[in-house]
Amino acid sequence: MRTLAAGLLLVMALASCAPAPENAPTGTPEAGGGKTRVALVTNSASDFWTFAHAGALEAAKEFNCDVEYKIPAQGTVQEQQQIVEDLISTGVSGIAISPLDPKNQTEMLNAAAAKVNLVTQDSDAPDSNRACYVGTDNHAAGVEAGKLIKQALPKGGKIMLFVGTLDAQNARDRKQGIEDELKGSGIEVVDTRTDETDRVKAVANVQDAISSYPDLAGLVGLWSYNGPAILTGVRDSGKLGQVQIICFDEESATLQGVKEGQIAGTIVQQPYKFGYESVKLLSQLQKGDTSGVPESKQVFVPVRTITKDNVADFEAELSKLRQAS
Amino acid sequence: MRKVLGLIGLVLVLVVATYVWELSRTGQSNFLTTNNIGNLLTWVGLFGILSLGQAFVIVTGGIDLSVGSVVGLVGLLTADLLGQSGWSPAAALPVCLGLSILIGLFHGVLITKFRLQPFIVTLCGLFLYRGVARLISGDGSRGLEGNVPAALTWFGSGYVPGTFIPAPFIILLLLGAILGAFLHFTGPGRHLFALGANEEGARFSGIRVHTLKLAAYVICSLMTGIGAILLTFKVGSVTPSTFGNFYELYAIAGAVLGGCSLRGGSGSVAGVLIGATLIVLLRNLVNILHIPSQVEYIVIGGAILVGVIVDELLGERRRKQTRIAPEAQGLETKAAGK
Repeated sequence: MRTLAAGLLLVMALASCAPAPENAPTGTPEAGGGKTRVALVTNSASDFWTFAHAGALEAAKEFNCDVEYKIPAQGTVQEQQQIVEDLISTGVSGIAISPLDPKNQTEMLNAAAAKVNLVTQDSDAPDSNRACYVGTDNHAAGVEAGKLIKQALPKGGKIMLFVGTLDAQNARDRKQGIEDELKGSGIEVVDTRTDETDRVKAVANVQDAISSYPDLAGLVGLWSYNGPAILTGVRDSGKLGQVQIICFDEESATLQGVKEGQIAGTIVQQPYKFGYESVKLLSQLQKGDTSGVPESKQVFVPVRTITKDNVADFEAELSKLRQAS
Repeated sequence: MRKVLGLIGLVLVLVVATYVWELSRTGQSNFLTTNNIGNLLTWVGLFGILSLGQAFVIVTGGIDLSVGSVVGLVGLLTADLLGQSGWSPAAALPVCLGLSILIGLFHGVLITKFRLQPFIVTLCGLFLYRGVARLISGDGSRGLEGNVPAALTWFGSGYVPGTFIPAPFIILLLLGAILGAFLHFTGPGRHLFALGANEEGARFSGIRVHTLKLAAYVICSLMTGIGAILLTFKVGSVTPSTFGNFYELYAIAGAVLGGCSLRGGSGSVAGVLIGATLIVLLRNLVNILHIPSQVEYIVIGGAILVGVIVDELLGERRRKQTRIAPEAQGLETKAAGK
């Protein structure tokens, strides 16, 4: 009896973990039917990926395929591997993935690339056999952020960077871009703090940083949730207006902060285009058409700098995209 | 009592050592500033509430592994109802706390009536509630979006006006006082220790073991729910897949550092509060002293291990001094508690 009850409970637990159909909306209601099936695998759950999903759905409509949308809940490499293996065994023809730790996932990515069309997005794995990379040139994005930091801190000063983990190539590249741009500017990056994608810890890190460097002039958030986390931490430490905040991406709290002048600016990527271009490429590759893949095997989607001046227009664009998804 | 004094000593040693070290290196302290103390006490309040709840379950010899996922689910519900759905706090907060109580009842009934092991029940809970949170949100994050009056979020992130004493810390002290009075100074509270030490014995002495155990799980989940709501007020945004991840481990670590034995039957509210303080303090020190982020887990893991070893060695010495066998010593403290 006891074993039976325990078994039942376990089944319940497992059932709740199994991907629910609602989580993987397909391009059109009538799935299957010989349509190309492709998948979008993210690196974590974020509003960012909602826009990529919207773009993927748009491309799916245009190129007549179905899109599955998969999120590794804990943001770990193991989960990504499991998701990719599961997808391959269910017979998708192409996968667009944002690898969490590209250098050490090469084997997994190559195994996947041997069976399906593989595109990396957002974070590249240049050593793998992926067909193409779609995303931001994160070094260039870091350079743009660096320019914004210089504008915000004309007199120089100490700044600190905040990010989920530094294993991800996009985090490393952005950091490098910022450091390259800031060389000789009198602005010093004193430290980089990681929070393992825990928002609560991200806020704690910010407050600790303000305690730890009373003369901190700027705080830079490299991943999307770091912007709102910095804003919360700075506000709770009573330092609003006394430090400059520069961040990436477009969480609603970030944009609100830009509007109200609490955040100097944010560097936004165009995730909608990531999703769109990835699905477009995968659908072309499935038909044997490689014209979309450039020589460099990298499709760069440019970043945009959002400050108080253009934030209202940008928000209007976003709300249009949200309705589309 | 001795254990609590030892822990307070340990906290003081850490604080003084950090202060002196900072002064000797830079001539000023970033650690003992009102700003940092306020910041530190905020997190002590938020995480301490989780440890406090966990302690009740650990005292009965059980464990609650679902804390992190309950934080995720209740936090999500809080942000969704108050932020997105625009419910009034008077309607939303009772729903969130009610859900926490229901979760506790669910655990308690499975453990007492169905005689399932706490570890398994709450492990399944860990999966279940995380899954539910992700399912109902479609993995989208929820924010308070400024729809919540500042008077309410004050409870998670505010300070007592004119001081550096944060609201969550006051809440922790209040809850600690209430729960401490219950655990240490009432009959049912002492019975919790008794049943944790020897369930059969407690049952034969006429203690209502099932009801008390059920109550312990309800208290644990309710405290977790309160913690989740305050954390949501503090952070302002909830990501269903990660919010509260691993917090059960911080809660357990705080309780164990504070002197709760996982074998059940021992522990104190004062000890747990200081245990939780130690965990938060260690995290803060890693950042303040510019120790690389990567080292944080080593510091916390190492500190807990050392703490438990020292505690065990001191306990051994005390037992030898009083020439009482370990088992008899255990029974004696329980008898003294009764």
